[in-house]
Amino acid sequence: MQEKIKIFLDTDLLEKYLLDATTDLETLQVERYIAMYPEVRKTYNELQENLEIFAKSYALKSPEGLKEKILSNIKAQNKSKRKFMNYAIAASFVAIFCAAASYFFYHQNLNLQEENTVVTNQIKLLEEDMKQRLEDVRNQFIVLNNPLTKKYTVTGNKKAKDLKAVAYVNPVKKLSYINVQNLPQLKDDQCLQMWAEVNGKMINLGVIKETNDKDNLMALPYAKNAVGYITIEPKGGNETPTVDNIVANIAY
Amino acid sequence: MSAPLLEKHIIELLQERNEKAISLLYENYSNTLYGVAYKVVKDDALAQDVLQESFVKIWKKADTYDPTKAKLFTWLFRITRNTAIDKLRSGKSKSDKEIQIDVSDVYKLGVEGINPELIDMRENLLKIDLKYQIVLEALFFEGMTQQEASEELDIPLGTIKSRLKIGLRELRKIYGEPTLLLCLTYLIL
Repeated sequence: MQEKIKIFLDTDLLEKYLLDATTDLETLQVERYIAMYPEVRKTYNELQENLEIFAKSYALKSPEGLKEKILSNIKAQNKSKRKFMNYAIAASFVAIFCAAASYFFYHQNLNLQEENTVVTNQIKLLEEDMKQRLEDVRNQFIVLNNPLTKKYTVTGNKKAKDLKAVAYVNPVKKLSYINVQNLPQLKDDQCLQMWAEVNGKMINLGVIKETNDKDNLMALPYAKNAVGYITIEPKGGNETPTVDNIVANIAY
Repeated sequence: MSAPLLEKHIIELLQERNEKAISLLYENYSNTLYGVAYKVVKDDALAQDVLQESFVKIWKKADTYDPTKAKLFTWLFRITRNTAIDKLRSGKSKSDKEIQIDVSDVYKLGVEGINPELIDMRENLLKIDLKYQIVLEALFFEGMTQQEASEELDIPLGTIKSRLKIGLRELRKIYGEPTLLLCLTYLIL
């Protein structure tokens, strides 16, 4: 170990380190030796003291006024640094504001895009609905206006005396409609449901809504010798008709 | 305030970025550092520039100073010496003139241009044998490595090393702290 220290001290690494002339690698080595070996540390401290003594032996009185120059120079440096810091702070605020604004606008943009998609979809649905309704109205017009269309008046049986409906059937165009004019008073948990028996199968045509369907014609599936039924069903409709509750039938 | 206490106080002020640190540094070290700068550049105006630049660097680098790695003076010396050597080199590189380093001129004990009042004291101070002094100056003030000094001064590397070690030891013997403090007090007054 002593040999290792001696070899180290024989190099000029410590002197180079003293004068800040070592490479990064050498610096690490020297600092490691100083930290590890008290002998090296002692030599280094002596070297520092010697350097100070040596340098002091060359001391010269510094020129008059130089101190003031240096102090004002440093004051100016600090002022410009403070100024720079102020600008940096201001710039940081602007940057934070911009980032927040970008974030806000980005999200707003996303929301608008989403809204736009919803609106576009709604327009498409409305368009399809309108087309469907227009087609329906056109068919209704064809049926109602056609001289071959037969009109059937439907009245309810004793279970629904107030029920009045008109059915329109056109065998040429193979279209049939029903218009429910008046609905009987039902219990709160009941509704009227429309059915059609086509080729021996019962087809659910849906629940008749009191308010909306008065002025509308409900399309019925057309078939030769089909029969339409109106039944009283539990509120919300039923999957199969309750035969006991048939209040009207329309043979067309 | 004793020297270590003063040093500690200055370091604390430096780390607090208190401008008073510069004032205290100047009061306590400017003469030595100016002497170092002058020794390297050998010109009053240049030495003043060096000292100014060095103090600005000291202020700017204050937060990088690590008292566990170097004494305050060592750190100040490094900055001043390197600034002076850089100044000298940039001045030389700017010059159109062909540079011829006259070793004997560079390493002789230059007192030319110094206030005559200081010459006596300088003579008292520089009692160290010339052969050691040349080596110490070459290494401390001229920015030479031991190898470069060996080549420039035409002295074997081993001799450079031993002269450096002996020279430093002699320095300690001749310029002990009390003598030096007396001289410095005289210089400042």
